Amino acid sequence: MGKIETNSPEMFIEEMERINSPLPERINTGPENIEAGLGKLVLTLIELIRTLMERQAMRRMEKGSLSDIEIERIGETLMKLENKVQELKELLGIKDEELNLNLGPLGNLM
Amino acid sequence: MSIYIYGIIDSNDRIDESIKGLNGIPVSYIPYKDISLVISSFNGDIQDITKIKVLEHEDVLDRLMEKFTVLPFRFRTLYNREEDVVSMLKDFYNDFSEDLGRLRNKAEFDIKVIWSGDKIIEEITSDYDRDRDISAGDESRGKLFMEQAYNKYKIDREFEERANICITVIDNFFSRFASEKKLEKLKSKNLLLDAFYLVDKERQGDFKEAFDSLKASSSDLQYLFSGPWPPYNFVRIEYGKD
Amino acid sequence: MLNDTVNSLDLHRAKDITLLEVLDKALNKGVIISGDLIISVADVDLLYVGIRVLLSSIETMESLQGRHIPKRQFK
Repeated sequence: MGKIETNSPEMFIEEMERINSPLPERINTGPENIEAGLGKLVLTLIELIRTLMERQAMRRMEKGSLSDIEIERIGETLMKLENKVQELKELLGIKDEELNLNLGPLGNLM
Repeated sequence: MSIYIYGIIDSNDRIDESIKGLNGIPVSYIPYKDISLVISSFNGDIQDITKIKVLEHEDVLDRLMEKFTVLPFRFRTLYNREEDVVSMLKDFYNDFSEDLGRLRNKAEFDIKVIWSGDKIIEEITSDYDRDRDISAGDESRGKLFMEQAYNKYKIDREFEERANICITVIDNFFSRFASEKKLEKLKSKNLLLDAFYLVDKERQGDFKEAFDSLKASSSDLQYLFSGPWPPYNFVRIEYGKD
Repeated sequence: MLNDTVNSLDLHRAKDITLLEVLDKALNKGVIISGDLIISVADVDLLYVGIRVLLSSIETMESLQGRHIPKRQFK
């Protein structure tokens, strides 16, 4: 095919493998896996919401539109959410990369 | 027995019967009006089509590109029945025609750029750490969490801004030679840019020269330049009845 | 002798990078026709499934349990 020119093949191979490999290609949804499969789905959605909430909070910090009390409360909430997700991940034996979502043309969630 | 789909071409003539597809099976054509679907028969499970077979898929498209405009199908598109294939061809004829017209005489080129993302983050982080107010030590957990999150957020934003500047500079070398482009930014910390350009045959020489200029102008970036490819990135994302 | 070694290394790496480049495009891009996703009982092919399918797949999983459904339309 010979239509590739690069000054660092190794670096590109490394980066491309890193980007393409972490997502599992299949969720096994046979009856024995259905709990773990569902758990992963639910956790992924929670993580998605948590990420969106955190981003929104950061934008408001930037604008300075959060009161001290709000900062305190949101911080506590986000912290608890983060810990809860971590707990559930450990309980279900799910790795960090497994919660990554491919959003098509929008790229990966994480 | 299934039908493996390679793509669509803008011809309905008797076409080269010597092109070999997956597993060495010769490709064949299903014509409809002024276009054809390029297929080959396939025996086996879709799971048998391993990733390395993508090279066979691409070989077919490369041969076709020599003479025709090609709409590449995604790798591993298999149909079970010929009737389904034919009705797909008829159902989407207008969409296919439109795309073929838009993509005629053009090819896709891909430029990937690696920068020292890790180093840049370190730089930014130490700048921010230096400037940060030392916290009083009696701060509540919630506030502390938010401060740390916010600090990380600022670092990420600064990083993205620097990336955007660099990407704009790179893109400026090429966009005037392309009729369409698609830029994927920061797919990883170090993979700054994956840029796809749709370039008309007549401008491909200029386009390649632009790449030479880019190479010459910067020594701390790594590049991968590839093409011409069939326009994988410039067909519609999905053809469907909405 | 040394040149031969370098050349054969290059060839191997050249093949790797070509494969990665082609996969990058052909696996993730190119034409797909909606309704093409093939789902069998225990496998959901996640290669190009986006979030809308993820959200609907809880109900899908329940309806798929124990049944083989060769094709499914996703809106």
